[in-house]
Amino acid sequence: MSLTKKYLGVSAFAASFAFAGFAQADVCDTPSKLGDMGSFAGDVITIAGSMEGKDEEMLLNTVNCFEKATGAVIKYSGSRDFAALIVADLRSNNAPNISIFPQPGLAGDMAKEGHLVPLGDELASWMTNNYGAGSSWVDLGTYSNAAGKKDFYGFAYKMDLKSLVWYSPEQFEDNGYEIPTTMEGLIALSDQMVADGNTPWCIGVESGNATGWTATDWMEDLMLRTTSPEKYDMWVSNELPFNSPEVLNAMEVYGQFSRNDDYVAGGASSVATTFFGDAPKGLFSSPASCLMHRQASFIPAFFPKKGEEVANGEADFFYFPPYESANLGNPVLGAGTLWTMTKDSPATRAFFEFMTEASAHEAWMSQGTFLTAHKGADLSAYATPALRKQGEILSNATTFRFDASDLMPGAIGAGAFWSEMTAFANGQDAQTTGDNIQAAWDAIK
Amino acid sequence: MITKTLSNFVLALIVFIWVVPFVALVSTSLRSETEAKTAGFWTAFTPTELGHRFSTNDKSDGNKVFSIKGNIFERLNKDKNSFLVSGEVKSILIKQRITDPDNSEKTKLVKKLVPAGEVMKVRNGDFVFKGNGDFTWTFSKETSPKPKNLDVFINQNPIFGADAYIEVLFDNKNVPNALISSFIVTIPATIIPITIAAFAAYAFAWMQFPGRDWLFVIVVSLMVVPTQLAFLPILQGFSGIASWATALNQWLTDCEITDSCQVASKSFASLWITHTAFGLPLAIYLLRNYIVGLPKELLQSARIDGASHLQIFTKLIIPLSVPALASFSIFQFLWVWNDLIVALYIGPNNASDLVFPIRLQKQLGTFKDQLHLLNASAVISMIVPVLVFLSMQRYFIRGLLAGSVKGG
Repeated sequence: MSLTKKYLGVSAFAASFAFAGFAQADVCDTPSKLGDMGSFAGDVITIAGSMEGKDEEMLLNTVNCFEKATGAVIKYSGSRDFAALIVADLRSNNAPNISIFPQPGLAGDMAKEGHLVPLGDELASWMTNNYGAGSSWVDLGTYSNAAGKKDFYGFAYKMDLKSLVWYSPEQFEDNGYEIPTTMEGLIALSDQMVADGNTPWCIGVESGNATGWTATDWMEDLMLRTTSPEKYDMWVSNELPFNSPEVLNAMEVYGQFSRNDDYVAGGASSVATTFFGDAPKGLFSSPASCLMHRQASFIPAFFPKKGEEVANGEADFFYFPPYESANLGNPVLGAGTLWTMTKDSPATRAFFEFMTEASAHEAWMSQGTFLTAHKGADLSAYATPALRKQGEILSNATTFRFDASDLMPGAIGAGAFWSEMTAFANGQDAQTTGDNIQAAWDAIK
Repeated sequence: MITKTLSNFVLALIVFIWVVPFVALVSTSLRSETEAKTAGFWTAFTPTELGHRFSTNDKSDGNKVFSIKGNIFERLNKDKNSFLVSGEVKSILIKQRITDPDNSEKTKLVKKLVPAGEVMKVRNGDFVFKGNGDFTWTFSKETSPKPKNLDVFINQNPIFGADAYIEVLFDNKNVPNALISSFIVTIPATIIPITIAAFAAYAFAWMQFPGRDWLFVIVVSLMVVPTQLAFLPILQGFSGIASWATALNQWLTDCEITDSCQVASKSFASLWITHTAFGLPLAIYLLRNYIVGLPKELLQSARIDGASHLQIFTKLIIPLSVPALASFSIFQFLWVWNDLIVALYIGPNNASDLVFPIRLQKQLGTFKDQLHLLNASAVISMIVPVLVFLSMQRYFIRGLLAGSVKGG
């Protein structure tokens, strides 16, 4: 029985690769050539992460390039419960070779427990020189271990650009709306939409046990637009408390959007219960239930036609604009997944070398929903012009800040911040929300 | 008479409450993805008015024309070979910005639902459509019109299709593999605990040994240990065993120290052991209470005739305990079949060995966008427990009373 099963499994695997290869005209055939990766015939590299479905398919297609080059075998296991499972696996000596952390907070916790293997200074200095805003990416993956020694652990690969507002150009044309370039203009446009009997925004923060994270993205974008980047950094490290006037002000501004029954499709009370991936579907329903949606670069995968809309012009995005009056420049917010080594092996080391190759980035760029800060990657490899536009913003970034909730300790950034912002969506006032998060932070200090 | 009517009514109500979700699941799994997301399953059986977007023409080809003719249904069904939309076109939503009649400096947005037969202005052309979907778009002078997407409301006929099932069962081997994996896990995880428990239950019921009652109390009290509490120690244990097994494997087979020698700590065997451990207390408790109720005289006469414990057990106890054994197997089978969390933490995690509940969870995709696949897979996963239950239900009902009526 078991043998038959194994055989079936292997053939299914082979079949899925064959199919993927057929559907995607060889993703490994990239503009940049892949260097010599060595030979690791038969060596198994296990990878654990949270990507599933389409994302998982693209990941498998990409790592397949490494398999073809070296003969190594990569086994990926993805689960939406990654954050819970990886902790159990690491603590019980069942570590995979590579763990892909969606949040630096959790990676930092695991480094402190001594479960991560340092990637070495060479890789860190490579990243400083070859990534746009490189040193901040290195900082993102640098944590201290139990002894307090700081090392580079997390290799950022596959990035998202936040600060984008998605809309349907045709709807804008039908209604006679112009794309705003200032926050004042955006608010005026929203009011205009309300006056016209339209609903401007689709907002949803439900996301299973991560409910509330979309609200934290809004908060971060608004922090960058209402106060200085320096204050933002202080907020991340809690030098600026959560119940300080700056933070509460940003929360109130977010409330002006999300807690306004006229602004939000389905009314303000629907925000907490709308799945974040269903929210943008309102742009494309007949008739459209909203006209704008603020979300990161990955969101087209949630559109009804899985992002084809962007390619054929049914959907486009504009930059979430800053206040003209605040004079804070054009801040950009982003995030990335962190690839960490949780079990050392020569083949695994070689895989991290592989990720420094421009070709490894281009292979995924050509499949979609993948952005990179790698300066050597050929922008022409991006699957769509829209992705290219985002990629340019990312690799040329100067004023760039990371998702604050990702940088905060896990108990806050993936805990109290999420849950309290959900409570805020359900009607809790800003002061209480700020006080509660600050109290949670004080408790772990 | 009245009580009988009442109880029949209550029974019918309970059946209704249980059948509705089933009908919902099955009917949703047979509908198209977009339709299932826009209108509830109860609308699936009768013509329902739903909104669609269709494009008036394909990419503007630059040819200058006076008019474009086409059919809305053809446009909608162009790239599809299933779930073809049919029915009657009711209206098209048209939006225009005009000068505000009250304030000539401002503009005003006008939205209008245009019924069939009425002429409307679309990109300076006259657009008119019929209930059967035919439309004409005429211009006063020759132009090459840019395509336009319009919101159309169609009173559409019910459409069902088995596309999701075909995709789930034949497009890749994920679901068939998961079915096999689930059987590999479930069958031993049912048989092993029931075998051990039957022996233990006999000993607790009919054999004299010191501390018997205390031991029984301890076993029974283990039922309250929550599974979640034990994950980490269990996993640590398995990883210890796996490294021993790897070393043994290397020593025995003399294989090189590569991954081929590696014995996985998360495997089907770990699942069997874990499910056995957590199933045993209840199994022992249920079976012991049943076995203790068997007629004492029967066993005593067997003893007098010189039967050993093993003979009594195999020749008398086992045949007499079939209802209790069967009912516990159903419990254990259903519990293991539907288990997600133990499999997630302790089971094998490579793509081809995932058990059904994990596959179901993954079926939804990172983007929770494959609801149709989830529904179809859920129906498939239900078939096995339903079959098991139906084929063994007479034992199940008898077994529910196991231990409650003492004989002898």
